[in-house]
Amino acid sequence: MGYEAVPGLVETVAGHGETTLVVDAARIVEACTHLRDEQGFNFLSDLTPTDYLGWGGRGVSGYIGTRAGRDLHAPGTQGLARVPVPKPKRFAVNYHLLRLADDPVRVRVQAWLDDGEEIDTVVPVWPTADWFEREAWDMFGIVFRGHPNLARILMEDDWEGHPLRKDYPIGGEPVRFSGEE
Amino acid sequence: MALARKLPLISDRPLAKAGLSSERVLMPNKGPGVFEEEIDGIEDALGITTVEKAVAWAQANSMWPDTFGLACCAIEMMSIVSSRYDISRFGMERFSSSPRQADLLIVSGRVTHKMAGPLRQVYDQMLEPKWVIAMGACASSGGMFNNYTVLQGVDKIVPVDVHVPGCPPRPEALMEGIVRLHEKIKAGVPPAYQIRGVDQ
Amino acid sequence: MSVVESTTKIYEGSRIPSPIPTVLQVDPAKHALDDILTINFGPNHPSTHGVLRLVVDLDGEHVAGIAAVIGYLHTGFEKTMEQKTWWKCITYPERIDYVSFQVNELAFVLAIEKLLAIEVPQKATWMRMLLSELTRVHSHLVWLGTSALELGAISMFWYTFDDRDATLDLFEMVCGTRMHTRYFQAGGLAEDIPEGFFDQAREWCKKMPKAIDEYEAILDRNAIWLKRTKGIGLLSADDAIALGQSGPVLRASGVNWDLRKNMPYLAYDEVSFDVPVYPEGDVYARYKVHMNEMRESVRIVSQCLDRLAEMRGEPWIADDRKVVLPPRHELHTSMESLIHHFKIVTEGYVVPEGEVYSCVESPRGEFGVYVVSDGGPKPWRVKFRAPSFVALQATATCMTDAAIADMIAVVGSLDGVMGEVDR
Repeated sequence: MGYEAVPGLVETVAGHGETTLVVDAARIVEACTHLRDEQGFNFLSDLTPTDYLGWGGRGVSGYIGTRAGRDLHAPGTQGLARVPVPKPKRFAVNYHLLRLADDPVRVRVQAWLDDGEEIDTVVPVWPTADWFEREAWDMFGIVFRGHPNLARILMEDDWEGHPLRKDYPIGGEPVRFSGEE
Repeated sequence: MALARKLPLISDRPLAKAGLSSERVLMPNKGPGVFEEEIDGIEDALGITTVEKAVAWAQANSMWPDTFGLACCAIEMMSIVSSRYDISRFGMERFSSSPRQADLLIVSGRVTHKMAGPLRQVYDQMLEPKWVIAMGACASSGGMFNNYTVLQGVDKIVPVDVHVPGCPPRPEALMEGIVRLHEKIKAGVPPAYQIRGVDQ
Repeated sequence: MSVVESTTKIYEGSRIPSPIPTVLQVDPAKHALDDILTINFGPNHPSTHGVLRLVVDLDGEHVAGIAAVIGYLHTGFEKTMEQKTWWKCITYPERIDYVSFQVNELAFVLAIEKLLAIEVPQKATWMRMLLSELTRVHSHLVWLGTSALELGAISMFWYTFDDRDATLDLFEMVCGTRMHTRYFQAGGLAEDIPEGFFDQAREWCKKMPKAIDEYEAILDRNAIWLKRTKGIGLLSADDAIALGQSGPVLRASGVNWDLRKNMPYLAYDEVSFDVPVYPEGDVYARYKVHMNEMRESVRIVSQCLDRLAEMRGEPWIADDRKVVLPPRHELHTSMESLIHHFKIVTEGYVVPEGEVYSCVESPRGEFGVYVVSDGGPKPWRVKFRAPSFVALQATATCMTDAAIADMIAVVGSLDGVMGEVDR
């Protein structure tokens, strides 16, 4: 299956039986329209960003833990086996497409953004993107240019901050035990 | 022709002591009504010594829960109405959607900060006496979600009478919580808002 | 039968509102402002399937505008799961769609296994399939009970919940608890299947079709039910696909699409079952799809039981000691097993770097999990593609030209579970 004709295609990555098309963020609407009309991807399954701030920062494991140390009670301080492949920018917006037809195929379209960069909305291509993009704005702060109703959807309307960003704290409260002083 | 009976302004009969203002108190020259005359004999007939006990028995055995199902615990709360677990044995099968007609608020499920406002509004709309059961780990303490969005225990915003642990609690566990609440009431324990001194 | 049949069109053109596809807006030209009453449904409402809030503009009984406000149950699953090890994470997806809990677990566990490239034994695959189908029946029973209750068929609630308790008995027997069973592990199942399960499950397979026939006898030709569901909440196939619908909503609009048949996972290509598809696109069609799906699920469960009966004594979890706990009796004799057990329980196993999108056919549609791993013991990013989130987007389209009583029928038929919508 050839994806060479997709406008704005930067590279094609294959892994775990899945194909990822990395597309230039400025040409996302062209790429999506081409995929929908020329290659039959009529179904948008999912639209979701990922924040790669701090990717690989955990450090590679040495003989005992990482250079920053190791704590048995904090899983993960033993480090990674190898340095993960570095990412080009901070945010990746992933579009999971499906060709809902007699020969079904799934593909992932990925566009990379830095903090503050905007991307065009794909609501004119697939109306189902409406709430997905609102959630992306709410959770990550990514602005979708041209979205008809880019407002908070999961958090309160006056919430400050974008919870799923890696620099946003998990929140919650420290657990207190009875009998504590 | 009015009756010429001289009656004291504050009656020393038990009903009035419990706060019941009958027409006789408001209109001292009027004789006792039919209801009053019937009630006069009921205490001896049933062997109830104090009105508070009778009132507590009535409150406990016909408590109407409010439909405040939020998440997974709501499904188990619905199953106590089903035929196997049958909460109607305890007089509680009539779930009231209107908080004005509900006595018991079973907070079943995780309460987020966004939902905390509506929860308090529903609680405020309930009329006294009212009780709250925090069903499940999420309502009692935030459960497995210790994060930016889940309220770590509804007793931060409403006074809770009974916490039922579980994730979700089995229907029998919830019924145990309900039965304990009934026992609390019949023993004379005041509702949580009185104990906590919460402003109404 | 091809996926999208070009049968008679349910309506001409597209009814998706514009400019916002998910909000039906009051037509300013047709209505004077003082005719419109804006009311608020929810978030605490008996008929909104959880904490859904609908802001409805009414012109008498006619719904002139509708917008959904969600987020009252946003639990922060995705961020919380980034803090937990992979094993501990498996408890979280269950609570997302709390009516079909094992299916959510399955999707997440399949994603981990895809990244780990671990091979799962046959017994685990077939048992997972059996439990998924039991979960499907459980979900449809809850749906039927609550939706019928909201439309006035109150007795359905008691009938369906009684059968639901029988289904939960099966879960309890195998997994130890009624709901949120946490039975699937990366690599297979947590424990072996108990012996008494097969007999009780066969009893259930005999009883369920009769129960489903009873439900249909109550509702199928009931004049009130027909009046309230036929021709209500129309959604055409093209609109459904454009709006990303899947599951019973899509199949009730005439699209023959079921992930179990079209993109099979587990062992669905080795069992025989049919996929009910109805072309009318209304609430009644969705009801029929749900009822027939329950029957097909019972068929699949019987076939799984036959196959599992031959696999007694086989392993129920993979043998990869870096991921799977060793059997307890080995801990007394083997030092390596003890070390592996200790490391897996305290620090957790690591999942190689990569990203996968794994999806399953949940009772509501396509439930997908997008997992990104950085090669560490905790997920980097987990995103759940919840079918109810997408189904609620179709409310505005289905509510074109409808009365307020129809809104309850439509919202019920779209089968939304708010835990999924808000995550």
